[in-house]
Amino acid sequence: MKYKDYYAVLGLERGASDEQIKKAYRRLARKYHPDVSKEAGAEEKFKEVAEAYQTLKDTDKRAAYDQLGVQRPGEEIRPPPDWQQHWQPSGDDAFSAEGLDLSELFERLRGGRGRGGGVHASMPGQDYEIAVPITIDDAYGGTEIDLDLNMPEYDAQGQLRRVPHAFKARIPKGASDGQRLRVPGKGGKGFNGGRNGDLYLNISLRPHPLYRASGHDLYLDLPLAPWEAVLGTSVEVPTPGGPVRLKVPAGTQAGRQLRLPRRGLPTPKGAQGDLFAVVLIVVPSVVSEAEGALYRQLESVSAFDPRAHFSEEGSHAR
Amino acid sequence: MRVELTEMLWFEQHAVSLSELAELTGLSAATLEELVSCGAIEPIDADDPQPRFGAAALSAARHAHRLSEDFDLDTQALPLVLGLLERIDGLELQLRALRARLPGRIR
Repeated sequence: MKYKDYYAVLGLERGASDEQIKKAYRRLARKYHPDVSKEAGAEEKFKEVAEAYQTLKDTDKRAAYDQLGVQRPGEEIRPPPDWQQHWQPSGDDAFSAEGLDLSELFERLRGGRGRGGGVHASMPGQDYEIAVPITIDDAYGGTEIDLDLNMPEYDAQGQLRRVPHAFKARIPKGASDGQRLRVPGKGGKGFNGGRNGDLYLNISLRPHPLYRASGHDLYLDLPLAPWEAVLGTSVEVPTPGGPVRLKVPAGTQAGRQLRLPRRGLPTPKGAQGDLFAVVLIVVPSVVSEAEGALYRQLESVSAFDPRAHFSEEGSHAR
Repeated sequence: MRVELTEMLWFEQHAVSLSELAELTGLSAATLEELVSCGAIEPIDADDPQPRFGAAALSAARHAHRLSEDFDLDTQALPLVLGLLERIDGLELQLRALRARLPGRIR
């Protein structure tokens, strides 16, 4: 098994007091707990912190850990036989550290919760929660995803082990950002008659180059040339269900939202969100001589003043 | 060999009893009752003598269990934290919705 420096994980010296250990855990838990933290990689970091704290907060486990000596993190270690004999769970003569990782080892030592209730007690399986990022096209049509999970699970002896599970999951159409799916009984197996845990899938939508999702509605930027916005036009607009023609009325202002009913994402109940085309008026960064001449002509004949309200508002203020 | 997952439930389609909620989340029935009585977890119909709980309650109760385990929160502090988390979720949802309405950058 690989050695982990639990003191370093909590930012502590070896001789830290129980109070210092608790304080360090609280500080780091507040920073990295996945329910309250937005930091990247917070969940992984919190798991390390929690694992270190689980061992160091328990006097017996901490003593057992200290007796492993100081090693380099990541270094392969093997607890000596007398160490195992001394710290083995009471009544478990067959205890072996073989094949365990450091967290599993300490989970099972004397006072560990894993078997604390006795070998015959039933225990519910662990719930397992994972993030499932999908694309907007996946949400539109439904999709299948492959899940390779390492689930903590009780073995025949009631010991927690990480067991690999491979699932194929069908995400039904109608998923939206932040929605959750529960798959009953597909988490870790229960022990001795305990119910199986559940698998929770947290859906998130990956950013799309064209669409932005808000619930089941989609927003799409619709760039128009100035003359298209002034004169009106009919344009082909992409939607997840395929392109549709959209009539742009004459005199369309920038920022206006043109609604395409039922062209957004489907909902689980069979309804469908809308797609909104958000108008942007864009201008060419370089124009030809002929185009330039036409713009100058327009400038000279047009009475349009886009900033007329400046002087009006200004006079109100006075 | 991959196992196919067929029975998947949207959270929104859930309705469970208090004891099922306790079993699903690992919270004790007593703690749940306390969280319900102070309004931190709300049944679908508050007047129902046999209250049923939906998606929001399941999510809040799972949060409550994790937070009470990992931070040693008591039943005084839990509702406060749950309430604040709920507000953050609501604000983030609003923020995402508003951001979606803003025109993106033109390349």
